[in-house]
Amino acid sequence: MITSVIFIILCIVIIVTAMLTLYFRDLLASVVSYSVMSLVLTVVFLHLDAPDVAIAEAGIGAALTTCIFVIAVRLTRRREE
Amino acid sequence: MKIASFLSLFLIAGFLFVGINRLHPVGQPLGNQNVFIDRTGELTDITYVDTMDDYYLRNGQRETGSNNIVASVVFDYRGFDTMGEASVLFLVVTSISMLLYPSIRLKRDTVDLRDPRTGFPMDMTRIVSNGTYLMFPLILAFGAYLVIHGHLSPGGGFQGGAVMASGTALLIISSYITSHLHRTYNIFSFFESLGLTIFIGLGFAGIGVTFLSNFLANTSPAFFGRVIDLGPNSGYLNSAGLLPFLSLAIGMEVFFGLSIILVSMFHLARKEKDEKGMIK
Repeated sequence: MITSVIFIILCIVIIVTAMLTLYFRDLLASVVSYSVMSLVLTVVFLHLDAPDVAIAEAGIGAALTTCIFVIAVRLTRRREE
Repeated sequence: MKIASFLSLFLIAGFLFVGINRLHPVGQPLGNQNVFIDRTGELTDITYVDTMDDYYLRNGQRETGSNNIVASVVFDYRGFDTMGEASVLFLVVTSISMLLYPSIRLKRDTVDLRDPRTGFPMDMTRIVSNGTYLMFPLILAFGAYLVIHGHLSPGGGFQGGAVMASGTALLIISSYITSHLHRTYNIFSFFESLGLTIFIGLGFAGIGVTFLSNFLANTSPAFFGRVIDLGPNSGYLNSAGLLPFLSLAIGMEVFFGLSIILVSMFHLARKEKDEKGMIK
């Protein structure tokens, strides 16, 4: 019971952070929001007995993509027009 | 534009929710019956095996000698797809290098941000540089563990390579790699190509049966072909035949390829900083 409630809360957090990623005009905030989405998605994958996908999501989604996007934002403009 | 983004988000979410209905129930990959096929290979109920994933789940451990069914699908049953993915990654790294390599080659490669006395970076605080100093070997060791034990536990070449590349990202962010970028780039590029070449070469080694056939599985313990026990167990490192080698090749390619992307982009960022006069 309590685990399924936590699971549903995590799923809602994923959807909300995905929408925030689109919503923010500040691209750095958008990248951070995307990173939070990947991190929560990792927990959800682990809960669904998919540790392979969870490791890939944590390594690529949460760490590497964030790093590359931060460098890209730094090279271009921080505000979206 | 925003509305189009939100619409595509909901469209993708809708497709995923439809796809969820086709999956097995969580925690019950074999439905309600948890029977295994015994060593002689007799199918106890052949009528139950109606889809490919049922076939993989029931026969993967016996046929490939790998305890991780995901690894046996990725590197054995669907090895050709993995080769395609690795080639796509290689192509991505090549095109990014094509855009960014001239700036690396023409750069005067003299600026070193490290303190010559201690060897620590000068433009970062001690917390960042000491934290990197402690964390980087651990991240690298964890990534190597994921690559080497890919056929026994969750993980594999892609995941381990990505974890090790995030260690490179940490190293770049905390300014440990600042000088000799050109040489670093060349070494990384060589090992990336070597990884993909080893993968395709191992594929051709099994050409007697088919391309990428697992000809070493279940042969002799000396060549990673140890016959494993069926059912849940911790397994042996020298099992699964070709899978550990393919995993190592993919891990090498992913690690060095992603590191090349990071080094190139970091180099471009630093060049801009240099042109603005922020580096003395």
